[in-house]
Amino acid sequence: MNDTLDLNNQRVPRVWAIGGGKGGVGKSVIAVNLAATIADSGQRVALVDADLGGANLHTLLGIPNPKANLSDFLSKRVSRLAEVMTPTPVDNLWLVSGAKALVDMANPTFGQKGKILRHINGLQADHVVIDLGAGSAFNVLDFFLVARKGVLVVVPEPTSIENSYHFLKAAFFRKLKRAEPRSRVRETVKEVMEGSQRTPVRTPRELIARAQKLDPKVGEALRAEADSFRPALIVNQVDNRRHEKLGTDMVSACQDYFGVRLQYLGALPHDQVIARSVLEQRPAVKFFPQIPFVSNLRSVAENLTYARPRPA
Amino acid sequence: MKARREDWELLGLEPGADIARVKQAYRHRMSVYEPTSLATYNLLDEDERETMIGRIDRAYHRIVGAEPPPVPIPVAAEPQSATVEIPSGPMPDPVRDPGAHLRHQRLRRGFTLQRISAETKIAVAILEQIENEDFDGLPAAAFVRGHVQQYAREIRIENPDAMAKHYLDKMQGQSLED
Repeated sequence: MNDTLDLNNQRVPRVWAIGGGKGGVGKSVIAVNLAATIADSGQRVALVDADLGGANLHTLLGIPNPKANLSDFLSKRVSRLAEVMTPTPVDNLWLVSGAKALVDMANPTFGQKGKILRHINGLQADHVVIDLGAGSAFNVLDFFLVARKGVLVVVPEPTSIENSYHFLKAAFFRKLKRAEPRSRVRETVKEVMEGSQRTPVRTPRELIARAQKLDPKVGEALRAEADSFRPALIVNQVDNRRHEKLGTDMVSACQDYFGVRLQYLGALPHDQVIARSVLEQRPAVKFFPQIPFVSNLRSVAENLTYARPRPA
Repeated sequence: MKARREDWELLGLEPGADIARVKQAYRHRMSVYEPTSLATYNLLDEDERETMIGRIDRAYHRIVGAEPPPVPIPVAAEPQSATVEIPSGPMPDPVRDPGAHLRHQRLRRGFTLQRISAETKIAVAILEQIENEDFDGLPAAAFVRGHVQQYAREIRIENPDAMAKHYLDKMQGQSLED
């Protein structure tokens, strides 16, 4: 394995994963334009199409046939992920395409996933934006969880809201299961779940509270995991004022119900020009920079990438 | 009854936040748990929703109750000399002007707001807001529905539920437009 290649690359890219449970909510359009917005500010960005079953970021960027893609890397035809980075029409933006991924690549093995993640951290970029597939499959959740920030995209429709809560819950439970000390966590969680036939555990918040009673140390570990789970939220396709409050409403509901603090990044308006940019395969940020979607996305990108100084 | 730390937490506030922020937080939190709220779609069942609304409401009232009232409110329900205004003009339409309709009906029957407040335990200020259709100042729709029903029952309006529905329709239609 050639993982030492990038040891002299001192900067580890900041990784943002775009997910959200439901298909058709605009994840891919947002991933492309978010990456392009950050690239526009002069930082180097790699966009990774991890929607392995239905990759299409190359099309949104107007690159119908990328010469290399993720499956070349997974099938070891090339040894480094960096070798499948394709330049795009946007300055400072490169694409790691998922185009024509082999069918069996849609479910990468645990080892393959780890390999992709290691190589993502070794990319010579300031930021990596990963577009996740729809659904709450483990490999989607794992990419969501390892990113510096997982970003949830919802639209103001009951189906999308329903799926996004399901997604959040699945991601959160998966994160809790991996908490240390792992064996004790597993036993305690099992005990809580089995002891709760009459009053089922519906939320992570309840799980933590009950685990705390059984084993305070495990409770503490779970609480620490919960505190570090801070996904971000974008509300897409907003077209009236009532929808604008959906974001802050969801932040409150998640806090109350799951005990999860969402970071609300902002709302993006429903915009006919976006449909046109998709049709013409021209990313909106570059070709339609004046539209409200793009200006709102700029503030979303700022909210996302603004780094508070970390405590030492 | 004094506010507890959890009450502030439940409203998402730092303990001691000023009254304007408390009211704003209360209205926001209540709207999140309204039955029509998209943000809690299928997240809670009806019991959980009502429990949550009850918790928020109690927290709010403990917090507000702990605040010194800005102006002393006269306790005496009704001054002896109180005269009831005589309603003038035709009866306002209950669908188009539900607030004015309520006021007209009340005055016709010779009730003061103080008396309705004493019977229903709804604050005079809220009854006034209902009559004036001060939708921004009113609590969340779920409460307004109950208040209007009680008010309508008290002044013996024939169908309090329908009255509440007219009121809510106008309130929700209005707050979407502005």
